[in-house]
Amino acid sequence: MDMKVKGSKELLTEVIDAGLCTLCGACAGGCPYLVSYKGRIVLLDSCTISEGQCYQYCPRTYTDMDAISQGVFGTPYSGDELGTTKEVLMARSTDTRIKERAQYGGTVTTLLSLALEEGLIDGAILTKMSDDKTPGAFLARSREEIFQCTGSNYMACPILEALNHIPKDSTEKLGIVAMPCQILALSKMKKEPPQNRVSIGNVKLAVGLFCTWALSPDGFHQFLKEKLDLPQVTKFDIPPPPANIFEAYTPSGKISFPLDEIRKFVMPACAYCLDMTSEFADISVGSVEGIEGWNTVIVRTDVGAQLIEMAKEKGKLEVDTLPLENLAHLKKASLLKKKRALQQIITRSGDRKNLLSVGLQQSITDKLLA
Amino acid sequence: MSGVGLDAPGSTQLFIGNEAIARGALEAGIGVASAYPGTPSTEIMESLIPVAKEMNFYAEWSVNEKVALEVAAGASFAGIRAITSMKQNGVNVASDFLANLVMSGIGAGLVLACCDDPSAISSSNEQDTRNIAKWLDIPLLEPATFQEAKDMTKWAFDLSEELNSICMIRSVTRIAHARGNVTLGELPKKEQKAHFDSICPVVPTLPKFIPYPSAWLHSQLHGKLDKAQELFESSPFNWYTGPEEAELLIITGGSCWLYSLEAVNALKLQSKVGILKLGTIWPLPRKLIETHLGKSQKILMVEEIDPFLEGSIKELVADLPPASPHPAFYGKHSGHINAYGELNPDLVIEAIAKIMGLAYQPRDPEYSKKAEEVPFTYMPPRIMTFCPGCPHRATFWAIKNALRLDGRDGFVTGDIGCYSMAIGPAGYFQERTMYCMGAGAGVANGLGKLGQFGFSQPVLAVCGDSTFFHATIPALINGIYNKSNFTLVILDNNATAMTGFQPHPGTGVTGMGETTTVVDMEALCRSLGLQVDVCDPFDLENSTATLLKAIAQNGGPRVVIMRRECELVRGRRDKKPPYKVHVDPDKCLGEACGCDRLCTRVFGCPGIVWDNESGKATIDETICTGCGLCADICPQGAIIRETV
Repeated sequence: MDMKVKGSKELLTEVIDAGLCTLCGACAGGCPYLVSYKGRIVLLDSCTISEGQCYQYCPRTYTDMDAISQGVFGTPYSGDELGTTKEVLMARSTDTRIKERAQYGGTVTTLLSLALEEGLIDGAILTKMSDDKTPGAFLARSREEIFQCTGSNYMACPILEALNHIPKDSTEKLGIVAMPCQILALSKMKKEPPQNRVSIGNVKLAVGLFCTWALSPDGFHQFLKEKLDLPQVTKFDIPPPPANIFEAYTPSGKISFPLDEIRKFVMPACAYCLDMTSEFADISVGSVEGIEGWNTVIVRTDVGAQLIEMAKEKGKLEVDTLPLENLAHLKKASLLKKKRALQQIITRSGDRKNLLSVGLQQSITDKLLA
Repeated sequence: MSGVGLDAPGSTQLFIGNEAIARGALEAGIGVASAYPGTPSTEIMESLIPVAKEMNFYAEWSVNEKVALEVAAGASFAGIRAITSMKQNGVNVASDFLANLVMSGIGAGLVLACCDDPSAISSSNEQDTRNIAKWLDIPLLEPATFQEAKDMTKWAFDLSEELNSICMIRSVTRIAHARGNVTLGELPKKEQKAHFDSICPVVPTLPKFIPYPSAWLHSQLHGKLDKAQELFESSPFNWYTGPEEAELLIITGGSCWLYSLEAVNALKLQSKVGILKLGTIWPLPRKLIETHLGKSQKILMVEEIDPFLEGSIKELVADLPPASPHPAFYGKHSGHINAYGELNPDLVIEAIAKIMGLAYQPRDPEYSKKAEEVPFTYMPPRIMTFCPGCPHRATFWAIKNALRLDGRDGFVTGDIGCYSMAIGPAGYFQERTMYCMGAGAGVANGLGKLGQFGFSQPVLAVCGDSTFFHATIPALINGIYNKSNFTLVILDNNATAMTGFQPHPGTGVTGMGETTTVVDMEALCRSLGLQVDVCDPFDLENSTATLLKAIAQNGGPRVVIMRRECELVRGRRDKKPPYKVHVDPDKCLGEACGCDRLCTRVFGCPGIVWDNESGKATIDETICTGCGLCADICPQGAIIRETV
């Protein structure tokens, strides 16, 4: 892919219309032209800016991985399975209320609450499900509001649009919980700070989630709406293999759907994503296969390390070593996502040397594809 | 009393053609006048209305042209002289009744004044109503001067009564809207008494006012035309100027007569070229024409829009005895005269010069080139646009956003009105079809039934409030009946704005200014079982959301009324703007990423202008109406509105 920064027209042709949009929201909300609506990025009017921030921050336009890694960690991109890490461990909340409601171990909710209490952040941009389980961006400014955002429904949500909506003179310190594609867009913003938008320096904490793929919010929500009384649903889950199901928790019990029935709603763009563990976040959080009620936590930056340390000290988090077997499994799964994505990209470009938007050293490509 | 009602016989007034026609109707003693507004005909009624009460006649803006003609016919049937006026498109609307009316004949004098719009300067199409007169066997007169416009109209009533037929007066924009001297005649003073007498003088068992027995009445009608032709042979509205034996004979009428006269004078060909000016256009005074045809071997027909005289005179020549000399004809068929658009003296000069083999250069080529360049050098490019503060701009902004957000390639079908400007940048190119009144909803009916062919684009029909009453209601009812899938958006600005704010059934005021029942379009639609949402288009968020909801639905039609008063009407009444608007240059992003001149480049209200020097937007205080909508458009909150 061309390394040049272009405008909204090219964003449309090269990314959105090309089926590569991840619905991260980085391009939306920062101008009157691009907005998200029901699982799509919509260009409301033509814009003549030839080098737009919409194109610049898109995680699916050319991204120099070394430069991004330098910006976040001060080192070039390693191509390691889990990216740059300080520590990989497992953790769970000590707060029973959080644990009851949480997707797995409640680590994210606990860390955000702590960051808020300690004044590290004034608010956090999160995904909140509406009563009918439509995902939407939400700026939580209290423990209670953070708590309202627990749980996942596996649908993509353009939360970076909410970041772009924040008034540019705001001094609010922000945390953000995001998917790998959104963390990548955020890293691009950190590298080339946005103009005429809120300072990227306001984002003090980036918590990344593990992600194998996300579901198209419009199509999948429609599917769920036809099958379920959505306001009654308390939780969605995809239990670890070999279950191969998608589960909805309702007052009358769990309702499960074969994963194959769900896969058709996967965002096509996810097939081209190399990142399972949000490699440019301060802290990345996911489940632990086979150990219920715990989270896998990857500590990546000093900010992340300090927060985990504080959580441990204050007894907010119970922390343990991740069993080697689980670590090996996690690395294997993450590497597999990279390999598959690279193969998809090469199939699309028709050239092993052309990795479309992914700017990787040849040696790293070779290592990943070996 | 001034203007058309001035009781000063023999005095000379400066009238536009439409005022002259109105004066002619007054001198003929009309009791009823009816019309639907339409450029260039509107001022006929506009100048009658102010004098109606004082001169003891009735005038109305009717719901559409067909009803207007029927109103006038009703008066005629009861012995009251009546005039109805409309533009060329209106005659189409009225034509069904007209085609029946000609069969039965009339009561008192009945005149249809229609104004054609060559070049379609203010019309959806270019159309020649002379053909309608020929098609329906209606006597037709066409004035070439303002005096004639008055005199012909007055005479048309006498003619109508003498022939027992409706008569037509046709004018064009350059007569209707140009101004010239008119010497006034007497205004009748007698009282009129209306009485409807329906007994047919020929077959007493039949009513008089029916087009039956048709074939017999048709033959009678042809007899009326024969009689008209006899009268026209000696009409003072036809005259010839020029040499006895002209080298070239121009046959013309209406505004083209003056163009021809100027052309002949400019070429100094008065001794070689003769002009036969016709004022009685249908039926043609064939004997008069034949006399002149015999004296010239070259005939040039100068007329606008269709080759009406040309075709009709050629037909006439075909009927001449075989021995008659056959002249050479020049005109639209030969390519000497444009077969479309308006004419002017230059074009006629060109035609004459070509026929006569003259090298005529109207002006020095160098000068000509410069003159053509000047407007583009000093005049900024301007687009057709909505007025500052126009609610339609807001409506189309909401429509555009709703259709983009919806993402199924939805589009707008529309018709003629202020909102027709939405075919261009003023309405963000949203209106994708534009035909006659009510056609937006009509066309949407067809599109809304194509689901079985995989059609899934949302269809959004727009109409104005006056257009809703004029011709949209049947289309809407058809949609309900046949379950057609579309959304009707009524742009209700409480006026027939494009033609000059005439009242209509929804305004609660009659043409003569009396308060009347408001025909509530919302209640009407609801009574038809329709879902109706009413929005203030200036509430962009709610309007967009409402439209999105409406177009997301399937099944029969639904209605969204975008209700906000025409800004010009509000401004004229309130005399002050609701807000004082200014741009905060520190906040304005201008061309930077995050704005890219949204207000001046896309939104396009003429009240906001781009200041090249500062690279910021600024308010043009001379035309800004202070509506304040732009403050909601600006992504940076840089446009500030303060309550006045």
